[in-house]
Amino acid sequence: MIRLESITRSFLLGKESVPVLNGIDLKIHEGEFAAIMGPSGSGKSTLMNIIGCLDKPTEGEYYLGGENVSHYNDKELARVRNQSIGFVFQQFHLLPRLSALKNVELPMIYAGISKKERQARAEEALIKVGLIDRMNHLPNALSGGQKQRVAIARAIVNTPKLILADEPTGALDSKTSKDIMEQFKELNEEGVTIIVVTHESEVAEYANRTIMVRDGRILSPSEGVRGQIE
Amino acid sequence: MSFMENLFMALSSLKAHKMRSILTMLGIIIGVGAVIIVVAIGQGGEAMLKTQITGPGNTIELFYQPSDEEIRANPNIFQQAPFKQEDIRALEQIPEIKSVVASSTKLSAIRFQEETGDVSTTGINQAYLKLNELKVAKGRNFSASDFLGGRRAGLVSNKLQEELFKGKNPVGNVVMVANQPIEIIGVLEKPTGLFAFGSMEVYIPFQTWKTIYGSSDFTQVTLQVASADQLQVAGKKAAKLLNNLHNTEKSYQVINMEEIAQGVGQITKIMTLIIGSIAGISLFVGGIGVMNIMLVSVTERTREIGIRMALGATRGQVLTQFLIESMTLTFIGGILGILLGWGTSTIVSFFAGWPALVSWQVVLGGVLFSMVIGVVFGLLPANKASKLDPIDSLRYE
Repeated sequence: MIRLESITRSFLLGKESVPVLNGIDLKIHEGEFAAIMGPSGSGKSTLMNIIGCLDKPTEGEYYLGGENVSHYNDKELARVRNQSIGFVFQQFHLLPRLSALKNVELPMIYAGISKKERQARAEEALIKVGLIDRMNHLPNALSGGQKQRVAIARAIVNTPKLILADEPTGALDSKTSKDIMEQFKELNEEGVTIIVVTHESEVAEYANRTIMVRDGRILSPSEGVRGQIE
Repeated sequence: MSFMENLFMALSSLKAHKMRSILTMLGIIIGVGAVIIVVAIGQGGEAMLKTQITGPGNTIELFYQPSDEEIRANPNIFQQAPFKQEDIRALEQIPEIKSVVASSTKLSAIRFQEETGDVSTTGINQAYLKLNELKVAKGRNFSASDFLGGRRAGLVSNKLQEELFKGKNPVGNVVMVANQPIEIIGVLEKPTGLFAFGSMEVYIPFQTWKTIYGSSDFTQVTLQVASADQLQVAGKKAAKLLNNLHNTEKSYQVINMEEIAQGVGQITKIMTLIIGSIAGISLFVGGIGVMNIMLVSVTERTREIGIRMALGATRGQVLTQFLIESMTLTFIGGILGILLGWGTSTIVSFFAGWPALVSWQVVLGGVLFSMVIGVVFGLLPANKASKLDPIDSLRYE
């Protein structure tokens, strides 16, 4: 499903090139529930951006579902994000002026799906996360957990193979966090590949595999490829 | 992503900042409105000038411009009326000519009891009445028998009533024009219009004029034809006929009022253009206002742009979204501006007394131009939005 081959990513700081990721090799199979952990500054956000096709590696190859996306242009990457990846963010990132239903419809607008089908599918996704009775509410009228469930509905509505969640419970209390993680687990059981970036071990426990990132490298064993340890 | 989708999105985001949107539109509204007003009043003025110059319809004026030889042979030639009664009869035979309007004007002394003054006396033929509607405010107009019998009856101008009669009704009184008695049968309406200057005038039937001044010649001849496209043919035929009759080469000529009117039209066009471009500048300033607000809006919505990009919006789609938003802003502004311009020019024309012409070309031009402004001034902000980095935008607070 996901294959990263010696991925590096450096940023220019002034004239100096500062590496954030140093040769990442990683394989994640279809249907896995993986957690990426690591202290802040370890490069896990950058890794997640690359996996999410929001960023491009400086060097190395990235295969997503068999496609080598590392040399895709902006337009192709937008299509990949739209079709193959569902995002869930710590800050929910719902559009404040749109109702829950309209927020869930957004990815389908960019997929060019007709209005009628969009509404039907958005309602279906909201039923799945148990928020159909709140579909006409604006995000402001929803609790944190409800917002995150809308975001999950938005992430799954284009039926992507991969869901990327960046600290999905970071802004929620522990009880709600549990509900949200249960939701992810349910989705995983339906066959969706899930990658969660987190620094909470309780969250990582839901995953069946934990990938540790430190100083731009992967520490734990990953499919026989061992992250280089200093 | 469809255009309608974008339009609804644009409308809802404009609605989210109602006050700001309206204030931004105001620049466009005033700009478009000003252009419409200037053009409408300019075109209305031009049309009015043209009709005032060419007269009510299908007429062409004959004039006499003697050659140097004729002037040398007869130094008093300018004192003589150039059109004889036979000329008029001959002109009436030309098939294209519907009627020959002839008149003679002379300045004479006028007296009523103790009051005296100078008056412009015009002897007119019956056709004159048909063309130059002499509207009578008091008393009665000429009848056919006045012309046939050469009655000593006259219509006087409003100005004459004011000066000679101190505003009292003169109908029925007898005045002395060039020491000959004339009975006033009516007073003309006060003249209106741009070129109307009130003066002391008396109109009398030409037969009467002949008796008073002892001359049967006309100073002015205007030809009336059935339709405008016969004007040139009839005019040329008439000039040729008169030159033949008088044995002159080209002393008798026609004035083409159409050409003069076009010349005047040119002037008003240039005026309209000048004032219109000044109004256009305000439209330009309005456009800059739109750009300014759109830039603010892009900055404010950086996070929204990041979210949309993460969900699969391409840079092109983000560009389109903001372009359509600024176009919607200026389009609505343009429509409101047209309404403002149309309303204002209608009111102005009502008080100024000349028609304001809001042509569909100007309305269409206004709408299209305001949309063009939306695109031109929306391009920079939209481009800025589309160039944002999705990662940075998602993190933007």
